[in-house]
Amino acid sequence: MRPEMSRPHGAEDLLRQLQETLDSDPDNPLHHYNIGFFLWKKGESVDDQADQSKQLRERAAEHFLASAKLNPSDGVAFRFLGHYYRTVSVDAQRSAKCYQRAVALDPHDSEAGEALCDLLDGEGKESLEIAVCREASEKSPRAFWAFQRLGYLQVHQRRWSEAIQSLQHAIRGFPACADLWEALGLAYHRLGMFTAAVKSYGRAIELENSRIFALVESGHIQLMLGSFRKGVEQFRCAMELAPHNISAHLGLASGLLGWSKDCIKSGAFGWAADLLQEASEAAKVSTCLSGNLYSAWKLDGDIKIAYAKCYPWGTGRIGYEIDEDLLKSSIISWKKTCYSAGISAKHSYQRALHLAPWQANIYTDIALSLDFIDSLEERNNNDLEIWQLPERMALGGLLLEGVNKDFWVLLGCLASRDALKQHALIRALQLDVSLSSSWAYLGTLYRNLGEKQLACQAFDRARSIDPSLAFPWAGMSASYHDGLCSTNEAFESCLWAVQTLPLAEFQVGLCALAVLSGHLSSPLVIGAIGQAVQRAPYLPESHNLHGLVCESRTDYQSAIVAYQQARCALRMFPNFRSDLQSCFTDVSVNLARSLCKAGHAIDAAQECENLKKEGFLDSKGLQIYAVALWKLGQYNLALTVARKLAENVSTMKEPCAAAALGLICTLLYNISGYDSVVTTIRKFPSEFLQNTRMSLIVCALNALDTNKQLQSLLPTISQTAVSLGIAIEIHSITAINKLITQESPQTVAIDRGVDYLRKALHMYPNSLLIRNHLGLLLLSSGDWMALQKAARCVVIPTGHLHPVKKGFRLPYEIHGAMAVACGCFCSINPKFSFPTCNDGVMHGTRHLHLLQRWLHQEPWNQNARYLLALIVFQKAHEENFPQQLCIISKRLVLDALSTEVFLGDNKLSQSRSLLLLCASEISLQSGDSVGCMHHASNALGLLPTNSDLFFAHLQLCRAYAVQEDYSNLRNEYTKCLQMKTVHPICWILLKYFESRYSLQNNLDIIHTNFQACAARKGSSSTNWSANFELVCAQCYLWDQDYFLAEQALAHACVANMDSCLLLCHGAICMELVRQQAGLQFLSRAVTSLTKAQKCSTMLLPIVSLLLAQAEASLGAKAKWEQNLTLEWFAWPAERRPAELYFQMHLLARQSSTVSNQDSGVGSTQSPERWILRAIHLNPSCLRYWRILHKCYS
Amino acid sequence: MKLAGLKSVENAHDESIWAAAWVPATDSRPALLLTGSLDETVRMWRPDELTPVAPASKGHALGVVSVAAHPSGAVAASSSLDSFIRVFDIDSNASIATLEAPPSEVWSMQFDPKGTILAVAGGGSASVKLWDTSSWQLVCSLPVPRPEGARPDKTGSGKFVLSVAWSPDGKKLACGSMDGTIAVFDVARSKFLHHLDGHYMPVRSMVFSPVDPRVLFTACDDTHIHMYDAEGKSLVGAMSGHTSWVLSVDASLDGAAIATGSSDRTVKLWDLSMRTAVQTMTNHSDQVWSVAFRPPGGTGLRVGRLASVSDDKSISLYDYS
Repeated sequence: MRPEMSRPHGAEDLLRQLQETLDSDPDNPLHHYNIGFFLWKKGESVDDQADQSKQLRERAAEHFLASAKLNPSDGVAFRFLGHYYRTVSVDAQRSAKCYQRAVALDPHDSEAGEALCDLLDGEGKESLEIAVCREASEKSPRAFWAFQRLGYLQVHQRRWSEAIQSLQHAIRGFPACADLWEALGLAYHRLGMFTAAVKSYGRAIELENSRIFALVESGHIQLMLGSFRKGVEQFRCAMELAPHNISAHLGLASGLLGWSKDCIKSGAFGWAADLLQEASEAAKVSTCLSGNLYSAWKLDGDIKIAYAKCYPWGTGRIGYEIDEDLLKSSIISWKKTCYSAGISAKHSYQRALHLAPWQANIYTDIALSLDFIDSLEERNNNDLEIWQLPERMALGGLLLEGVNKDFWVLLGCLASRDALKQHALIRALQLDVSLSSSWAYLGTLYRNLGEKQLACQAFDRARSIDPSLAFPWAGMSASYHDGLCSTNEAFESCLWAVQTLPLAEFQVGLCALAVLSGHLSSPLVIGAIGQAVQRAPYLPESHNLHGLVCESRTDYQSAIVAYQQARCALRMFPNFRSDLQSCFTDVSVNLARSLCKAGHAIDAAQECENLKKEGFLDSKGLQIYAVALWKLGQYNLALTVARKLAENVSTMKEPCAAAALGLICTLLYNISGYDSVVTTIRKFPSEFLQNTRMSLIVCALNALDTNKQLQSLLPTISQTAVSLGIAIEIHSITAINKLITQESPQTVAIDRGVDYLRKALHMYPNSLLIRNHLGLLLLSSGDWMALQKAARCVVIPTGHLHPVKKGFRLPYEIHGAMAVACGCFCSINPKFSFPTCNDGVMHGTRHLHLLQRWLHQEPWNQNARYLLALIVFQKAHEENFPQQLCIISKRLVLDALSTEVFLGDNKLSQSRSLLLLCASEISLQSGDSVGCMHHASNALGLLPTNSDLFFAHLQLCRAYAVQEDYSNLRNEYTKCLQMKTVHPICWILLKYFESRYSLQNNLDIIHTNFQACAARKGSSSTNWSANFELVCAQCYLWDQDYFLAEQALAHACVANMDSCLLLCHGAICMELVRQQAGLQFLSRAVTSLTKAQKCSTMLLPIVSLLLAQAEASLGAKAKWEQNLTLEWFAWPAERRPAELYFQMHLLARQSSTVSNQDSGVGSTQSPERWILRAIHLNPSCLRYWRILHKCYS
Repeated sequence: MKLAGLKSVENAHDESIWAAAWVPATDSRPALLLTGSLDETVRMWRPDELTPVAPASKGHALGVVSVAAHPSGAVAASSSLDSFIRVFDIDSNASIATLEAPPSEVWSMQFDPKGTILAVAGGGSASVKLWDTSSWQLVCSLPVPRPEGARPDKTGSGKFVLSVAWSPDGKKLACGSMDGTIAVFDVARSKFLHHLDGHYMPVRSMVFSPVDPRVLFTACDDTHIHMYDAEGKSLVGAMSGHTSWVLSVDASLDGAAIATGSSDRTVKLWDLSMRTAVQTMTNHSDQVWSVAFRPPGGTGLRVGRLASVSDDKSISLYDYS
């Protein structure tokens, strides 16, 4: 409608032009408007010349007036008229009217609308303003200015929900207006929609990051929602933007205070103290900025008191020797810091009170701070007649606000008279019957008064009302002393209390309970006592218990330091204890014990000496003294002390006496030997032997003794040994006893032990100890069958590893050893060979996984590494050393070797040499004969000369053989011969070597030696001789001497009816038949092969094929067919050879010519297909092609 | 009229100083300045040099809120936050009596002009307590009635009476409360007379004009100083100029000026004829809790002195002329 004015160069020309247009058509409102607009703009541009500007504007107004008259529906003209009346002729009434008209005509006209609202606002006509905005907003949803204005006004009038709607609408129009977002956030905030508020404030901050209000408010919301970290972040931002903004400082301080309370709750005192320091600085700034804000002072007080209550005692660990003065001064300075923080909290609260004496809660704050200061001053005013100051101040709060239940509870806590306490707490309960804290304090009060039943009830109530309140739990745990609950229950209660509120008193109590209930080494306890030491360094108990906890974790150095600190604390603050001397003795005994355990026997003895001088050496001290002396090598003195201890035994209580007797026995055994201890035990009255410890000692002694001097004492013991664990231990010891035979002290009778343990296991089938022990014995029994039994009887515990009795092996280890042992003679993967072992198929991969799992659980365990290396090596061996496995195995072996080993240990060096041999074998197999020799000679060097060096030499032999260095080979071979080993396998190997490299034709030496060895093997000697014959047969075969080979194998088959041997025999017989040596071999072959077929648990391949051929030669066609079918199934599908397919072709052809109904495997496909498949598998065989040709021709 | 700084003592107390009062001169000694502080002590200072008269007197367990001197100049009283009032002999510093009130029920105090009664603003008890100065017994309690239509206050018994002032003739007593109400009593008849309206925030200090018993000056947290006709129960005038709470007010002996101390850390001298602040002292670095003109008598004669004490632990002395 209206061409926008772009100012031409000649303004005057334009004006003239406009004037001419107007003159030509004076009734056109547009022309009037245009010229008015031009003049108005010109008037604006010459603002500095007021007169001229005014003149121009007046002229413009005339034209606007004309335009408006001519076209009363043109809002823009009215707007300019409004401007004119407002600015030039200052007529608010008219101006408002014009604006109103403009807005009415065009509700989108934000300029007019805003100007109108400003006018109304200036006159204070708020309702009119709202009406205008509402009208505009109702007219058009796109009148965003109206929504904005309306929203602000509604916020101003605190009509939050209406404001939210208006603001949301306005934001659609001005999405980048931070003010709108801020106002929206405020509205949400006031309505309690905190997340929405945080989002809105966040948007405002995003748009304009200098929005202090949004930062502070969203910070407050974050604090309210408990996310102090975020809140503190916001306040810090606000503080940087406006360093003089009090609310930012106060918010920061309160955020840090809340944060630190979280820290205190979780026990991080040092962290909390740091936060509070920062908070205190922020609070200080805010109080400096405005000294008359009582809430700032109160916050300052809160921060100070929190600081005083969490400031941790600096534990500058001083080392083994502690400096008493240093400790003292550090405790005193710690106390001083707390005290001065308390005092300054008191001052801050007083300032707050002085500013606002009508605020009741400040009275109670002062009361609390006074109470805290009193507790630090250890002021114990027992004058009940006078009102104590904290009490008075608590009362002050109550006078102002009598209906506040918390004030009543506080009075109940601070009051010095029991009656008043009770009254106050009951008052609080009258106000709110479910006030758990009041119940809890009532419980404490009753406890102190000795009303245990009432106390218990009160605590119970408190607990059920609010389980997250620490106090009643702690109170319940104290009821242990009254025998109302078990130690475990008490410990659990107290633990809960400590976890909800880490208070030093609770923590000390927790540790005291842990001592009683045996939870000392729990990590929860060590954390708790560490915090207790931080918060109550003046309490000797906390140090002493800290020492006990450290000791139970075998951290003796820390324990020693803690005990010494406890002693210092006792010396420093003796007024805490009435029974000072007994405490002192206890701590000293603890110290001596820790010193002794840490290996400082001299210091321990010195401590005991001191105690003895003072006359406080009790039975515990005597025991420690005896041990310390014994460790120092002063045996006579030790025995004297032990004697003294023995004299006292009769006066001791049951467990102490048992411990003392046990110690005496152990000392005697170590110092004077077996016999004297036996005589001593015989002297003891029998009732002393009834406890578990002594019965174990007697049992063990008896087990060692072949003369059974203590046998008479045993039956009484095992009857009384009620405890299951003890009974099992006794059985285990008895099993060891069975191993030691009277007849041959050198060897152990494993079978007897196994028998005994089997019976024991029948009695206690779920005892891990007996199972392990049995597994161990079976493993070392040397019986082939036993290995599997061992694996079956040992249970792998699920979950964490159970602690196993020292000297016994882990179930894992037994399994691993078993797997290695099995792998030696049993193939474990059917894919690579055909197991003939009658004992069933081992699950090799399972063991591999088991060992890996073990190593994963205990990466530091050398044994696991060793066993894993071995088992992987075996796997590689079985699979004929594929490259991949070789690499893995080599790595594992080298890894196992890389750890430093103490060479003095015979067992370790043996296992190490075994690993070296494995390494050398892998090198050999991967073609590195130099490496092989290197490893083998290393192994030779490692082993002590008296041990079995045979295998190392043999390995060298093999290496030379590969290198074709025959002179050295002969040398090594001779060495091997000279070894005279006792293992039959060695001789078998030597035999093999001899023949393979034609080293020496002296069969007799090897044979006679082998016979001697095999004879020693007892029941398995026939097995060995069968193996030997097999090797002989092999040797004959090399010499092309089939007859002798057949003979040897026939011998072998007689010795051992193993299907493999039978197969070999059958095969050789067939070969002889082929060479036309005579038909008697054919029948022998049939016999052997039939036997082989029957013996083997699984179908062995080749056996049936050979048998089929033999039967065919004998003319038994049916048997031929039957055996061929068997052969088909003997092979795994993927490994069937081409020849088998060929044979099947024969079979198929046979059946097709006969065309019988027998649907065997052969008839499933046509003969042509069979031959095709055979060719497909082996295309190089001309025979198949020829047959195929024949088939098709 | 003008104020001229004479002397200032930094760190006069260990903590904030909250109260100050002049002990009238006696035959043997000039007037002394009495100060009470958060550090729980009361100290006395010689005028002009501002040197301590005696070691600080202890005896309070919490901060000293108010001090008052007997017109005879022999006895003074100090009250602390724990609501104990200690009455002691000026020269020997010996305790004469310890007046115990329920906690939260003691705030500022003033001796009546004749010295027979000690009026104590009763804090949370919403009353003014009158103690007899010979027997040191509580003789009377003047409760402040709730104004008609006032909302029940959440602070328990309703009001917290903060300030108290005797008219120069000793007949009337005014007290100010936290909600801004001012009550006037007829002491002789122990009767409540009326309220003085106009304040809506705590009235922390008030003083009658020494020359005109009808005129009452009040200092209020709303930053204004009001001038009431205490008998005609009308607001005569209001003076504004402080930017924060007015904590203390005192009238000069000639009745021509008043001085005020405020949270905005200033001391202002107001000319009553012009009703404006004629002078602003900014030598304090924290809020000024109390200002006091020296009473007549003793040596030094007609020379006007004004003392002010502040949270910044300092005392300032000014020459008023």
